[in-house]
Amino acid sequence: MPSQANASARFPSVRWFDEVRRVFNGDERYRGAGGGQCNCLAAMKIGDEVFVLTFEGVECSRAVAADEAALDDVDFYLDMAPVDWREMVANIKANGGADLHHTLNTLDLGREEGLATSHHGDQYREDLFFRYNQTLQFFFDASARIKTEFA
Amino acid sequence: MAKTTKKATAANAAPESKGDAPEPTAEDAPPKYEPKYNWMNKTRQWGVRIRPGKAGLRLGDLNAGIYGEVPMHWQDESRNPRGAVPRRGMPPVGYAIRDKAGLWADCAADLYEEAIQRRWAPATDVPWDSIEPLPDDVEHAVCQLCTEITQYANVDIETITGWQHRMSYGYHEVKQFLATASFDAARHYECFRKRALVNGGGLGLEGPGQVNRMILESRGGWTEAVVYLLLLRGVFTMTLYKYLERYAHNDAERFIYGHALADKARHVSYGLEHLRFAIAHLEDQRQVVATLLAIGDVGLARDLRDPVLKEALAIVFGGGVAGARRTGMAVFNDLMRDFLDTHFALCHWLDVPRNPAALPPPLSEYVAAEAA
Repeated sequence: MPSQANASARFPSVRWFDEVRRVFNGDERYRGAGGGQCNCLAAMKIGDEVFVLTFEGVECSRAVAADEAALDDVDFYLDMAPVDWREMVANIKANGGADLHHTLNTLDLGREEGLATSHHGDQYREDLFFRYNQTLQFFFDASARIKTEFA
Repeated sequence: MAKTTKKATAANAAPESKGDAPEPTAEDAPPKYEPKYNWMNKTRQWGVRIRPGKAGLRLGDLNAGIYGEVPMHWQDESRNPRGAVPRRGMPPVGYAIRDKAGLWADCAADLYEEAIQRRWAPATDVPWDSIEPLPDDVEHAVCQLCTEITQYANVDIETITGWQHRMSYGYHEVKQFLATASFDAARHYECFRKRALVNGGGLGLEGPGQVNRMILESRGGWTEAVVYLLLLRGVFTMTLYKYLERYAHNDAERFIYGHALADKARHVSYGLEHLRFAIAHLEDQRQVVATLLAIGDVGLARDLRDPVLKEALAIVFGGGVAGARRTGMAVFNDLMRDFLDTHFALCHWLDVPRNPAALPPPLSEYVAAEAA
């Protein structure tokens, strides 16, 4: 049975990502059908705030708050203004998952500089965003099952 | 033959009477074959004990000790697995690719695992029930795109399998990864054919296929095939999938395009790593890749002068024929600019010289449009 949220968490915060991790890690449906093993270090840049997520095997094993310097070390990071992050998370909540206008791929295409980028410019590492796109989408879609409060 | 029929074997000889003495059993008979087991000490390294990690026991984990020695040239011309003791006198199989620079990518073992672990089944994983009737013009366009993409997948299969058996076993990681890539291509062939035939439409018109022919007829080596199959066609197909996922009409299409995109990204990752390795280890390879791409531009430009793919995409992006002329074509132009941006960024990363100003039309129009 999929995990359900007990308490609400503020977006963005480590607690919010931990709640999503709990749901994501506990649902085996995210591991099949093109999901599965995902090994990367991905950061979420939400305005001035940075959160680094560690994906290992079939789990998201860690979420930590970081500063801009951490962006040098991640494979790629997703960069949007807080209002756009908020819209994406709200859309996922409203629809039980991202609708066609709010998938990570759509959001990537809709931005001049793309959604996923990196400081190192290593194309192999940047391409992890597309190789693991379904898992990353599953991760954010899992946020539909937690109670989110916006700051 | 007469001699052998007279000579009875222990198994079929008639029992002889020996009075009260017990009849000899097979165990009493002297063994006809005395095993020596001397093959047991034929190993180059024994006592290997690889432990599975958090992600399981992966192919790349096995590259320990002599089993992880991947030489720049593979001398053995037989099917001897890397690390095994060669048997003397084995006739050569005739592998054409025995140099590491001709196929290697450090990521191949990881990509193999990734492909195995992230596989999907079109028959049951795609939510086919989410597909509902579309307007005729849109269904025609979707089916035409499926026809074209099915051809691409067919070329992937033929190209990869056409080279795979020419690669020596010293580089098994690449051979294994490419086996998954050809299977991925088979899956794409399957699911795009299914999409074309599942909603009242059918297959459309065969594409012009200049790039297909260029890929299939690459004779200069696997690296040349990689340039056309992955750096040119692969990146173009990835870009198509990104846009088609964005303009999907239902969850089934969204699933198909999204998952095909992840598969294709894996193939392109191999291609990039291989080209980087080849360029680092072969003199002049960088310039060879540049020359191949200049030739490839001409083939791609010829394909793009055929209006079918462009018009079908414009209909999908514009929501129908009515929206194709303006909205649809504008999105198509975005797609082409995105493709060229990505392609040139990858070439830059590979340090392969490219001159956007030298692109033939209509490719040059997208570069010019961007500059304007």
